Order: sequence, then C-alpha cells, then structure tokens
Amino acid sequence: MPGVAQQAIPAAHNLPEHWSAVMDDCVVSIAWSPDGEHLSAASASGSVCIFNVESGGLERSFQAHDFGATSVKWRPAGKEIATAGQDGRIRLWDPHAGKLIRELEGGSAWVDHLAWSPSGTYLASAAGGKLRLWTIEGILHREYPQHPNTIAAIAWRPNASELASACYGQIQIWRPDSDQPEKTLQWKGSMLALAWSPDGQYLCHGNQDATVHFWIVRSAKELQMWGYPTKIRELAWDRRSRYLATGGGSQITVWDCSGRGPTNTKPIVLKYHEDLLSQLAYQRNGPLLASGCLGGRIAIWEGKNRQPLFTAAMPSAIAQLAWSGDGTRLCVGCEDGTMTVLETSESTAAARR
Amino acid sequence: MEARVENDDPRVPVTILTGFLGSGKTTLLNRILSEQHGKRIAVIENEFGEVGVDQELVIGAEEEIFEMNNGCICCTVRGDLIRILGNLMKRRDKFDYILVETTGMADPGPVAQTFFVDDEMQTKLRLDGIVTLVDAKHVWMHIDTSNEVKEQIAFADVLVLNKTDLVTTEELEKLEARVRAMNRAAKIFRSLNADVEIGKVLNVGGFNLGRAMEVDPKFMEPEYPFEWRGIYSLPRGRYPYFLKRGPDPAMNIALLPVDDISSQNVQASVMDAVLLFSEDAVAVTSGEIIRPGRRLHQLALTEESPAFSFEIESPGAYALYTQHKPEEFQAVLFNGSCLVYPVQEKDFKPDHEHDDEVSSVGITTPGDLDKKKFNKWMSELLRNQGTDIFRMKGVLSLKGEDNRFVFQGVHMLFDGRPDRPWREEERHNQLIFIGRNLDRARLKEGFHSCLA
Repeated sequence: MPGVAQQAIPAAHNLPEHWSAVMDDCVVSIAWSPDGEHLSAASASGSVCIFNVESGGLERSFQAHDFGATSVKWRPAGKEIATAGQDGRIRLWDPHAGKLIRELEGGSAWVDHLAWSPSGTYLASAAGGKLRLWTIEGILHREYPQHPNTIAAIAWRPNASELASACYGQIQIWRPDSDQPEKTLQWKGSMLALAWSPDGQYLCHGNQDATVHFWIVRSAKELQMWGYPTKIRELAWDRRSRYLATGGGSQITVWDCSGRGPTNTKPIVLKYHEDLLSQLAYQRNGPLLASGCLGGRIAIWEGKNRQPLFTAAMPSAIAQLAWSGDGTRLCVGCEDGTMTVLETSESTAAARR
Repeated sequence: MEARVENDDPRVPVTILTGFLGSGKTTLLNRILSEQHGKRIAVIENEFGEVGVDQELVIGAEEEIFEMNNGCICCTVRGDLIRILGNLMKRRDKFDYILVETTGMADPGPVAQTFFVDDEMQTKLRLDGIVTLVDAKHVWMHIDTSNEVKEQIAFADVLVLNKTDLVTTEELEKLEARVRAMNRAAKIFRSLNADVEIGKVLNVGGFNLGRAMEVDPKFMEPEYPFEWRGIYSLPRGRYPYFLKRGPDPAMNIALLPVDDISSQNVQASVMDAVLLFSEDAVAVTSGEIIRPGRRLHQLALTEESPAFSFEIESPGAYALYTQHKPEEFQAVLFNGSCLVYPVQEKDFKPDHEHDDEVSSVGITTPGDLDKKKFNKWMSELLRNQGTDIFRMKGVLSLKGEDNRFVFQGVHMLFDGRPDRPWREEERHNQLIFIGRNLDRARLKEGFHSCLA
C-alpha cells in the first residue's frame, strides 16, 4: 500500500505504547477523528494514512498530493477530512473509503494551511497571500483580499466565527460574512505561529525574531516576551486559558496569564530536553502538557511541576504531537515517518497515587 | 566549538546565484541542471517557468524580505526561503545541492543572512558561496549608479564575467580591474555563454571557515606605490623626457635596467621597484639628467613644461616605473625628434578614477593579537559600520593560542572559531573587508592597535 514502508518498531520509554507504525516520509500533520476512533496522518511525500486507533491497523492509505502534503484536518463533528498540499490543491475525502469527494484550488503554488471553523461549517485555506473560505460542499464561500505577503498562520477563534490570519507585518481578523477585516493588528516582524487562548481573550504569536507577542484582542493591548534563544513556532494554551507554554529553545517557558496576566512576572521554566523543542500540546480537557524535541524525546508535564511525569524516546525528531479528544492518548509523529500512540490515562492515575 | 572537516559536514550546501537581469543566470542554471553530474539538485527560482528540467526539483519563490521587529539590519532575512527550505529539508529524498536564484535587483545580504540567523537553516544547510554573473557589456550602464550591482559584485565569492563576445579584450581587462578593485577576495572567471565549469561555481567554500583565506592570490597583491610601468628597448644615447604640469607638483620615477623582457626578469624588477619606492627620493629639477639604476627620482613638475633626459650608456631593456600614469602629465619619451614607445606597458592601479564607494581592504600583519582588544575593536566596528561591511574573512594569530583563529562575517554577523594549529610558517594575521565607504587607513590603524 502506498504510504506505509514497514510496520511497528518497539521504542524504549516509560509510557506504555499502544501501537506504532511507520509512514513513508516525515509526518507533517496528524488529526484525530471527532469520535476518537481514527487517526489521519499526512506525510511530506504526500501520502495520507487512516489508522484504527484501537487496533493500530492501517485502514486506508492514499496518495493525496503530488510534491508533498502540508496539512490534514478532520471536520469537527463530521466524517470528511480535508488535505492540502504543495500541488496547490485542497482535497476533501471520505477517509474510510479513501474516496476523493472534491478538489479545490488554493490559489497559489503551495497550500500551507487549512482550518475548519469550530462548528465545522467552513473550511479556511491559505496559499501564498490568498485566504479562501469554503463550504462543507466545497463551494468557494469567500476569497478575502490578497494579503501583502505569504500567510504564515491561520487560526479560528474558539467558539466563534472569527478567523485570524497572520502575515509579515500584520494580523487580521475576518468574519465569514464580510470582505473587510474586523480588526487589523499591526506588528512589524515575521510571525510563525498563532494561538488563541481557549476563552478567546488572548491571541498570541511566536516570531522569527525570538519573541512571543500577546494581544488582548478586545482592547488591542499588547505584550511582548523577549529573551528566547531562537525563533518560536511552539505555542500551547492550557484548557483554562491560564498557562501559555512556549518553545523557542530547548527549555519550555510557561507564562501564567491568571490575575493581572504575565506582565512583570517570571515564567515557569521546564527543563528536560537537550535539543530544540519542536512541539508543545496541552490536553483539551485535562492539565497535561506534552513536549517533543528534535532529539526524538517526549515529556509529559503537569501544572507547575518542574519534573516531567513521564518521558519517552522516539527513533527520530518529533514532528507532530496530538492528544486524543478525551486526553487519554497522545499521538506522536516523527521525522522518519514513525507514528506512535501512547497511553496516558492509566499511567497518569498510577503516577499520582 | 570544534573544527569540522568539510567532507564530514552533513549539511546540504547552498549556492546563491545573483546577477542583473540579462546577465545569464538562467543560462547558467540550465547548464548546471542539464549536465550529467549524478547529483540531485533543488533550485529555488525567483519565478516559475524559465528553468525546465524534469528530474530536478524547481520551486518558484517570491522574494519576501523580512525585517525583524528590532530593526537590526543583520536580522533582515528571506522569509520565503526559510519556509520553502524548511519544508524541503523535511523530506526523506534529500538533495545533494540547493541553488537559490535571486532576482536581478536583489541585495544578496538578506539571502546570505538567512543561513546564519535561523537555527533551523543553520543545522541543516550550509551556505557554500555567492556566485554573481556580470554582463560584460551592459554592466557599464549600471555599475556607477546601481547599488544592487555594486552589492552583487561586492558580496560574491565567484564573479563570472559573462558575454565576453560582446566586448573587446581591452574592455574586458578594464572591467576585471574595476570589479577586482571592488572585491579583491572573489575568484573571477570569464565566460561566453555562461559556459563556466560547474566545479568553479559549486562547492567554492566561500563561507567555509577552514578555507577562509584560500582565495585568489591576487587578493593579497600588495598595493603598489607606482601606477605604471613601461619596458623600453633603448640603444645608447640621451632621451628627452617631456612632461606637462599635472595634478601633483612632483612625481617619483625609477628607471631600472632589466636583462631582457622575459616575464621572469620583468617580474623581478617589480619587487626591486617596490623596495626602491619605499626609500627616500632624490629631487630632480627640470633640465637635469637621469641615469638608470637603483635610485628613486622625484621629478619637480611645477613648471609649465618640465623636461628631463635619460642618459643610457649600455644599450638594452629598461623598466620605467612612474608614480602616476603618464597620461596625467602627458609624459613622453623622445629619441631625437621621434617618440619612443614602450615595448610593453602595465597599469598597477586599477583604472578607477570614479573613487569607487565599494572597495576591499586587505590587511596582512605579522604578530599576535590581544584577544580582548580585538574583540572590543571588532564589536565596535560592526556596531558602527556593520551596515557598510558586506563581507569579511580572515585568519588571526591570537596571543597564547597555538591554533589559527578563522572567521568570516556578513554585515554584523560574525562567525569564528579556532582552526588547525599554526605550522612552522610564520604566524601572521590576514584579513579582508569588502564594503562601502571603507576607510583603509582607519581600518589598518584600528587593527594594528589590537596587536599584543
């Protein structure tokens, strides 16, 4: 079958491994199905695999994009997956049948980003400076005005119908029903990642110049965090919108945004990784933070505890991390194509006892 | 940090290809891609469609220059390259080589800096060199006015003077002298149809610290104290030497006998002349006689038409070295009423009356450096003049260190490390700056003040 090179290799770690498989190239994107029963993963070669979470079995694999895939996203509360690639296309699939439903034009050579609206009503795509909004049926709902530079990140505001897009120099917030941005936030610099706090109050971005910037969206008040060793692409909010975990080096910097916010406070610093961080992810319904680095190490952290609860070693650099919706499992995608699902619920309970 | 042998460097080499529109970048790219070299090459083009070879990966990119929030020029990078190369390096099918073509109007600074300020780029890619194509004919339309042309020439590790069929040999010499004066560290090649050997443009090691000083020997060519030399074949006799009042009130000359006009003997006379020109000159006024030999003559040129004469006793070949070019003083040599022409002549100073704002300053000095003083001087220099310093590289002898210290830099970015131990050769310091409005005397003075 295309997309899978070989099966299961054991890895040494102290988190129980549910299963492991190897894809044909670097795992560039992972998405859990809304019911948590399936996992989809896209590789740098353009293949997409659908795994059965319980058995670890590969249910389907198909070549989704020539020249490589960039993103796979499962529609919230839906059955379809959307994929994007370096062939300039967006494709909607029936993942279980591996059947192409619809093919859409991103508007530029590479489609870099995809994001379903929280309700699953719209699919947003970013390709070069083009931001497009599609309906579930794959009909172009809106093409927003051309961005002056390549769109670096897009993110829907949680529980809202607002989409933020970042490109060099500015962030804009758009609504599905208007061509005009609802808000434009000017920031002179190159942004690499966007993250809304779950309560939708804060929008923050990690930057090429080794800073993290915060916006309190309502007031457009801003804060800037300096002093990182390198550029920041790893950002994760905890479910209560209190902690923002940031990468930009080998140590994790966690800002406490409760009370008066992080201004003039000292962040919590979590040290374990020896290589540059590549991924950070909080559980959606629990307190755990997962971190992954280019050295192939995984660590699981809880709250302000400066010791990791667990660690695990993977065969190559961590490329993707995704918690299951119920937070009991963590899916890890590696640069060499390894896909691993780790069990966290029982181990967590045991560790706490 | 430790020294790394180049072949052990697992990072993929990247070559930046610059040059004005029409200079032949696309022709060179196509040549590289169509040649049978067995390498997998990825090309980042500044637009789609021109290069077309099936088995290679060609990615179109729009130059997106990103300045960082702190406004520092060294943080100006090509955002599109970080994104595209970041994606490319994830793939399992690795490339042996990456070529980045810039648009004709590009400043090479941000492209080069991209490979030094971004950690991700730095761990996976190694900037190998900047290759600049120059249209030998049409470059003259821009070389005085366009900052981009000047920058592209100044940043280059390799300069290819292309389309040589459109110009005469003299024009080509003039161009080579001109670009050499701007960038003394680059290797210069000439080509007809961008048909330069691939080995000369790929893997040049321009940013390789271990090879920092492995440059064209011309790079360290001394600055000659004379601008012109003529070799004359003179029978015995007295030869009037007429001049006109010129830009200076006096001029030093030396008239040295040479055994014959073989290049070896002529070359030896150059070294004699260099030494001679550092000695005290003997004043000569209009009407006086000059005899060949190891003596520096200072001709007084205050009169309207000063006239001297050369007294030749033994017939043979003579080398006349003049501090300035003969045409500046309309200097002519006569035999009776006939003009005597040199059998050979050579200019020692590139023909640039333009006082190029872009130039190279080379420093070669024996002795050990005081590390603290050097650090302080270099950081001050980069802080104040980093914008104007395009490239620098060098080998330093630090006091108390057994190993050579090698460095290179782009604008304010300084990259240096200890290299192999000094061999028995004399420890010395050798460095070069290429940039805009460089003050040669001040740089030398500043560097010398760092000696321990």
